Amino acid sequence: MTRAFAITLNALGLYAIALVLAVAFGAQLLLHELPCPLCLLQRIAFTVLAVGPIMNIRWGSRPSHYALSLLAAVAGAVFSTRQVLLHIMPGDAGYGTALFGYHYYTLALITFVASIVLIAAILLFDRQFAEDGAAQAVAPDAFAISAVWLVIVLTALNVVSTLLECGFGACADNPLVYELLKH
Amino acid sequence: MEFTALFLAITVVMIVAWRGSRPLALTLFAIVLLACIRTYLHHASDTLKLSF
Repeated sequence: MTRAFAITLNALGLYAIALVLAVAFGAQLLLHELPCPLCLLQRIAFTVLAVGPIMNIRWGSRPSHYALSLLAAVAGAVFSTRQVLLHIMPGDAGYGTALFGYHYYTLALITFVASIVLIAAILLFDRQFAEDGAAQAVAPDAFAISAVWLVIVLTALNVVSTLLECGFGACADNPLVYELLKH
Repeated sequence: MEFTALFLAITVVMIVAWRGSRPLALTLFAIVLLACIRTYLHHASDTLKLSF
């Protein structure tokens, strides 16, 4: 795997994270389902997962950058497992609407575990880490730069959305209204 | 409020990772990850109603 191809894969990873964040926003805005505290924590884990690819695109592929993503994915898997266990009893309808038959937290757990496997698979290719002078720094193309800014903008939108939802106090366990938009 | 702060913090980490210095980005990443884990442990106090 060349450095350039590794950068492209990292950009694709960022687009995948952006898709997850956009779908979560879609459910929030179209279905009027406000994310619970654990749901927000899983969204945060997805954004933390994006830091590794951003650093790979900016500084070149390094095992330490992939390690950041692995740590974030493990944390996200723990967070989503907790929510799956909260709704595992027979008869429990779960939290929120199911998408493709799975609730958001179940899909999140599958995605975090898939991320761990994919990152481990990418780490198998040593050539992307080879220090051969000129090839060391690969300038990111427009595709990669767009991916970085897309994820940053979606994360910043979550700052606004969460502030509207929770206000300046603690977030409700089962939020139904935006605290700052209440009349 | 802590979730808003976490989203804001990770936005800053991303911008530093993209535009700033690498050691600072790594340090901020560690702080945010620990803050996430601390927030999780704070919210994971409900009893799990498991059957075993």
